[in-house]
Amino acid sequence: MLWLALVFPEWPLQARFRAQAHTQPLAVAAKQRVVALDATALAQGVRPGQRLADALALAPDLLISPRESQVEDAALKDAAGCALHFTPHVALATDGLLLEIAGSIRLFGGLDGLLRALRSALAAAGFHALSACAPTPRAARWLALGTPGRTIRGRGALPAALAALPLDVTEAGEARLATLREAGLRSVGDAMKLPRDALALRDAQALRRLIDQALGQTADPRTFFSPPPEIDSRLELPVPRHDADVLLFAASRLFNSACTQLAAAHAGIAECLLELQHEHEAPTRLELRTGTPTHDARLLASLTREHLARIALPEAVTALRLRAPDWIEQPGRSRDLFGTQAPSPQDRQEARDVLVERLRARLGRDAVYSLSASGDHRPERAQQRGEPGRAQPAAGKPQRPLWLLPEPELLAERDGQPWRNGPLHCLGRAERIEAGWWDDAGDNDHPAEALRDYYIAVGPRQERLWIYREHRAPHRWYLQGLFA
Amino acid sequence: MSASSLHTLLHRPDVWRANDTATDACPTVSTGHPALDAELPGGGWPVGDMSEVLTDCCGHGEVSLLLPMLAQASQADGWVVWVAPPWYPNVSTLAAAGLRTHRMLVIQAGSAGERVWALRHALNSRACSAVTGWLDRVDTALLRRLQLAVREAALPLLLFRPASDAHIASPAALRLQVSVAAEGEVRIDILKRRGRPANRPVHLGTRPGIPVRRADIVRRRPALALVG
Repeated sequence: MLWLALVFPEWPLQARFRAQAHTQPLAVAAKQRVVALDATALAQGVRPGQRLADALALAPDLLISPRESQVEDAALKDAAGCALHFTPHVALATDGLLLEIAGSIRLFGGLDGLLRALRSALAAAGFHALSACAPTPRAARWLALGTPGRTIRGRGALPAALAALPLDVTEAGEARLATLREAGLRSVGDAMKLPRDALALRDAQALRRLIDQALGQTADPRTFFSPPPEIDSRLELPVPRHDADVLLFAASRLFNSACTQLAAAHAGIAECLLELQHEHEAPTRLELRTGTPTHDARLLASLTREHLARIALPEAVTALRLRAPDWIEQPGRSRDLFGTQAPSPQDRQEARDVLVERLRARLGRDAVYSLSASGDHRPERAQQRGEPGRAQPAAGKPQRPLWLLPEPELLAERDGQPWRNGPLHCLGRAERIEAGWWDDAGDNDHPAEALRDYYIAVGPRQERLWIYREHRAPHRWYLQGLFA
Repeated sequence: MSASSLHTLLHRPDVWRANDTATDACPTVSTGHPALDAELPGGGWPVGDMSEVLTDCCGHGEVSLLLPMLAQASQADGWVVWVAPPWYPNVSTLAAAGLRTHRMLVIQAGSAGERVWALRHALNSRACSAVTGWLDRVDTALLRRLQLAVREAALPLLLFRPASDAHIASPAALRLQVSVAAEGEVRIDILKRRGRPANRPVHLGTRPGIPVRRADIVRRRPALALVG
């Protein structure tokens, strides 16, 4: 067993804003006291536990947000989701995580490799953690709190390593620790040296039990986190912002954490909803569709960029929320024996879908389509816009124009000849199309039933046109298409 | 020096012959019109480079010029992209010319910037087998971006532009001006091509209203069939 403890410093602040760049000092407060603060606030003299009035006197432009435990819970689950990419055994601690990594070290090329990869995955999701490794979970956490970066592999070295730690790391309760401090105890080692009876006298059996667990002498069972198969994560902006770059950066934090979770679950999402929340207005909703299931954060970010370029925000954004309820299982594919291979049909299908969705994100859904043939003989109904990839292939008909007008265009008539910038001369014999009598009557100008004689005509500039004459009175001429 | 050693000498890659158009280095794809192929460097539309068709024609066979190539491309497993065509393409006509119409993707875009954006994304996506677009009022900076994208993509890119843009310099490797010659004939002036400049136009006959048979397409006759 090897446990890796992660501790997120200033967790109430991290959970809320996920380490975004900002200029003003930030703090999170509960019960009128500062509980977490950033480096800027610390530099200005604000300290944890300070009263808000004092903190504001030191740093007048301090931005204070109230502490919300649901926000912290949700963020911790997000971080745990990222950690699941590295081991299936992840337990939640109040402001950190405990990972059992003995089985994963080889896969990531050693402990250093695993730590590096874990750190960068967490950083991409906006989390920054201190860590330490030890054979028991509690010892790992104490080390992460007291001497971050340490790794103790064997149990033999545990007592010496723990003895040097200050008593605070045991998190045994402030009141209890205060009595021990009064008795002159400073470090964990001091408490370990005391006989059990002496500790019991000072109402500190609980501490003794914690020490036993840390040394591995008493069982310390943990429940492992099993994530729900959905994503609902939220991130606040310290200051409401309009600029697309800032929003995109914040959104990519959410995408990165979501995609690490998806990758760990061998799943993908074909659509998700990014809500941009405002102070007064209803949230702006961006529906991101990828066509095929994916867990590629960069793809989601680029779709978001297209959306942001197209829409106008009614107001500055205060928070972002990402929701992806429908996960689609994506079984993994083994790598080819000879390394890189030609793209598989599935990859090509994916690339085609991604192109369509990306174009649609910027140009609008209706601006990208395929043409689908239908059985109707009326040229204006013989084809319609179809969903790309699902269009009906057409049967070839020769002697038809390449371009079709969206609506037949009424032509002028001079001396019984159709006219379009000059007289049009019909070539060859007419082709009669009679169809649509089964449809509703339509209106007088555009009857649904077609009774037409089609001609190929030559115009004054030698252009070839496809025109027709209504078979019924008043025998008007129309332009239907152009040869090209 | 024997004839065969002269032949080998002339075919060395570092020997340049002044009357040569073909640069073997640049890959091409046949236009499907042998008379035109003969005049183009490499014998077809350049792959990985831009070609422009400058025309004010409408109804003279200017798009049919492309169809053999598009039909060929539609056999592959990718989109045949049409960016901002002036009207709706008629699928039954295209099917008659051998195009697999369910592989077509039509993209409507307004400004030149958006059209170029769509073209670049289509080229970069690796999901297309041919890309065609209609552009007007486009500046050189946008065209340069397109040129970079098409180099990466290694596809033929064909752009239709108005004839009035002929005097504006363009980074395209091949520029053709299509105009009407006599009745039933289009004249293709090669404004720009790699190698020796062209001094005589190519005339292609058009055969309006004569049914195009599949067999004709396969045989690639010299006349440009005004399909549809």
